[in-house]
Amino acid sequence: MLKDIDEMLLTSEKKRENLIPILQRIQQRHAYLSPDAMKLVALHLGISSSEVYGVATFYNQFRFHPPGKHQIKVCLGTACHVVGGDIILENFERKLGIKDGETTPDREFSIERVACVGCCALAPVAVVDDVVQACMAPSKVEGILLGFDIERERDEREKQESEASQ
Amino acid sequence: MPRLTIDDIEIEVPHGTKVIDAAERLGIMIPRFCYHRGLGSVGACRMCAVKFLQGPFKGLQMSCMIDAQDGMVISTTDAEALDFRRHVIEWLMLNHPHDCPVCDEGGHCLLQDMTVSGGHGMRRFSGEKRTYRDQYLGELVQHEMNRCIHCYRCVRFYREFAGYRDLGALQIAQKVYFGRLADGPLESPFAGNLVDLCPTGVYTDKPARFRARRWDLERGPSLCIHCSLGCNTVAGARYREVLRQEARLNEEVNGYFICDLGRYGFAYAGHPERPRSPRIGSQAVGWQEAVAVACDRLARLGPRSIACLSSARASVETLGTLKYLSKRVGSDHFVCFYDAAVKFKMGEIVSKLDGRTAVSLRDIEKADLLIGVGADPINAAPMLALAMRQAQRAGAKVVMMDPRPLFLPCDFEHLSVSPELFDVCLSALVKSTFDRERVGKHGEAAVTLYDRMLSCDPLDASVQARLEPLIAVVEGCRRPIIICGSDIAPASSVSFAADVALLMGEVKDQSGVFYVLPGANAYGAALFDAANGSSFESVVQEIEDGAIKALIVAESDPFRYVADRDRLQRALNKLELLLVLDYLPSETVRKAHIFLPTRAIFETRSSFINQEGRLQVAEKIHSPGTPIWQVSNKGHPPRLYGTGICGGEPRAAWRVLQQIAHTLVHSQNEISENDPWPVIGGECAVLARHHQHNGPLHGLRIIPQTSTAAFFDGDLDLQPKQPMDGHLTLLPVVSTFATEELASYSEIIQRVIGSPCAYLHSDDAERCGLLDCDRIRIAVDDGFLEIDLTVSDKMARGFLILPRHSRFEWQKLHCFAQGLPVEKIGNCTP
Ligand code: SF4
Ligand code: FES
Ligand code: FES
Repeated sequence: MLKDIDEMLLTSEKKRENLIPILQRIQQRHAYLSPDAMKLVALHLGISSSEVYGVATFYNQFRFHPPGKHQIKVCLGTACHVVGGDIILENFERKLGIKDGETTPDREFSIERVACVGCCALAPVAVVDDVVQACMAPSKVEGILLGFDIERERDEREKQESEASQ
Repeated sequence: MPRLTIDDIEIEVPHGTKVIDAAERLGIMIPRFCYHRGLGSVGACRMCAVKFLQGPFKGLQMSCMIDAQDGMVISTTDAEALDFRRHVIEWLMLNHPHDCPVCDEGGHCLLQDMTVSGGHGMRRFSGEKRTYRDQYLGELVQHEMNRCIHCYRCVRFYREFAGYRDLGALQIAQKVYFGRLADGPLESPFAGNLVDLCPTGVYTDKPARFRARRWDLERGPSLCIHCSLGCNTVAGARYREVLRQEARLNEEVNGYFICDLGRYGFAYAGHPERPRSPRIGSQAVGWQEAVAVACDRLARLGPRSIACLSSARASVETLGTLKYLSKRVGSDHFVCFYDAAVKFKMGEIVSKLDGRTAVSLRDIEKADLLIGVGADPINAAPMLALAMRQAQRAGAKVVMMDPRPLFLPCDFEHLSVSPELFDVCLSALVKSTFDRERVGKHGEAAVTLYDRMLSCDPLDASVQARLEPLIAVVEGCRRPIIICGSDIAPASSVSFAADVALLMGEVKDQSGVFYVLPGANAYGAALFDAANGSSFESVVQEIEDGAIKALIVAESDPFRYVADRDRLQRALNKLELLLVLDYLPSETVRKAHIFLPTRAIFETRSSFINQEGRLQVAEKIHSPGTPIWQVSNKGHPPRLYGTGICGGEPRAAWRVLQQIAHTLVHSQNEISENDPWPVIGGECAVLARHHQHNGPLHGLRIIPQTSTAAFFDGDLDLQPKQPMDGHLTLLPVVSTFATEELASYSEIIQRVIGSPCAYLHSDDAERCGLLDCDRIRIAVDDGFLEIDLTVSDKMARGFLILPRHSRFEWQKLHCFAQGLPVEKIGNCTP
């Protein structure tokens, strides 16, 4: 991955103004900005890595963790906020042991907060793997995660069975 | 000058004064967080709101953003302003952890003060507080982000003012974080200022952590004596040792800040091995006996058989009294500079620096052109680099002539030429600015010098090409200053710099020369030392010949400075008496026949003269004594009781020296027991003029308005020598924090200095088959010296640059003064 970034950097001019476009391109390709990637960019542009990190963390569009297999987006737009979107977010966070913007160490889940996904009537809303989950409640959080757990267990069982039968 | 009314009091202030400062002049402290006079205003915290009643502005405004203007009527106590400020502080306190009992800032915390003065007494917010993870920022500064109120002072200082980039503002909104990309020591040698600047306890003094509250400390005005700038500090001591130092504002010298060496270098005074009792041989004895025996032995020796040594770290009091003693005992030898070349340069500097050319650090900030001649600010006088950066930020051009791969926290033009070319380069730069007529005003000698400049050798094409655009800059500038070093710069350049500065004064609005000297009191030492003809070389010679039989060494350690240590050792062995007075556990102290402990700067009132000739006084902070933690375990006050203070024997060197002089020559009339100044004045006319009945005039320059020295008499070095084939010239240079003597006894500083590292030009490295980061070994008489190598193309060719680092025995290389044959350099990287 770093090699790829290196090559990408070769094609962009060494100008400070290029910082954000470069970061955007890296994120497009690799889905997130790793610390090493940011160090490479700093080296390329001749600025300090804390400067790159400072700029990158200023914008919500950049992420610093690889996205999980299942992406959970919790809406905190006005309507969802009013009916307790933050409680939903907090429930996901607590269940998974990570904060928004982070990914679980096994790379299964990542949580993000988003602002209004355009279906305020269904508030509070979470979007889990592109499926809109309407009228969220703490019990539903548990239900969704339980669903994934069951799915995973089934997959593993099937895998073991197919290995055994071979 | 605008007149305005603040809280019904009228005041007239200079143009450009902010309202917040105008109020301060009246003793009205408007609450503030983001505003700091050293950094300027940004209007970020909204804490300084006041009500403007009349004048060009109306209503609630930020007093730190508005210049005082005629006719303004302002109320700082208006109900609306009070209410506004109360809300601001309440918001700022929402996330604050309220951990004052365990916070080191408590007791001198601006946030505590402002919370109270802002009128916020009750916490109403009951939500969850934002928390952060702290970072490891090195050994000097402790990080505690939860206490942050986001005033941005730290990044403004660190990035804008000081020019370092590894600390910054990260994240956004609720999560804004001040720190580094990852844990690691702060790179700037000015990082300690964050401790002073942060209005709350985010950055605190790490070595002093959990050791004292502000009100526990004995605090007083002191000085930094780690380099020649003489920055002002406030030292705070507790339980018989200094625990922390802060910067003390001095508009003419350091401004609001100091470097980390000045802040954390104090630990030498509390060194666990510091010798604290008088000693004859290895036997501890009482003062009376030690002095009596010393006097007795000195008295037995004839005149001219005693030599006196001191150094640039000794105070004016010590130097003056030693000089007095040396005259009394009929000694011809009084030496403060071990290197004859340095001594000569110091003589030139002291005689030429005068009211017309001397400049302060503030003048440097206002200059529009800075020309460096063999000066390495970051390594030799850190705060100078900060002043240069301010000049550069305001648009000044910075040109540095130096063979070293210099680093400065600002943009600069680097001419990496060898020291022999300094004169030629400086001539080439400035000659077109002068004309014969103007130069003629300074007399014949000036014209002769001018002709020499005109006739100077053409430089090689690459240097000439770099100079060309700079010459135009020199012609166009109005306030040029020459910054001249005193170690690698040849004597001719040192005096030439003053000549050029004087001539520039004729054609420019303001001009001057700023010397960087080898030691805190180098100027003072030169006042006493320079005029006499003796040198350390002649002292050693006479000891070897048997003419000198006794050596009095006051606050100096020849072993540190003299290259040929074996010869020195042999010479000392021949002595009948080696009498040493000092406060450091040095090599020379260990070898002393009679040792008398003296007081460090914090334990006695002492004066030092900085590089621009400014006499400054450091007050006594605490009484001498072994720090309590050293005499009892875990810092508990001792459980044993005695009548004296443990380790409290050290006396001020001047008192001891005066007593010896007094006993030896039985004359009491001119000696006053409690004031060293009559004696000092007797030894140095300049100082006599500047002292009053209770000490010297503090903070003033003692230089003459116009020097009577012969200007323009130096011979320019216009014919650079060709280096010997197959040889590299060795250049031992100062290295930040690692060269200075006192710092090498300061445990905190020793923890943070980097490992020694040599520099070689990439062409030379290629010739020797060496690569960057190689570890090289140099064959010397008795073995090898190893050091890491950095290859650079930002330095002059033909040099091997070596740090005078406390962990590298550069002294052993003295045999290669004429050049180091490249075959002596080996590579020990596998
Ligand atoms: S610049 Fe020099 S005098 Fe000032 S604090 Fe640093 S070492 Fe001390
Ligand atoms: S606010 Fe959540 S969907 Fe609009
Ligand atoms: S001090 Fe004026 S806005 Fe911060």
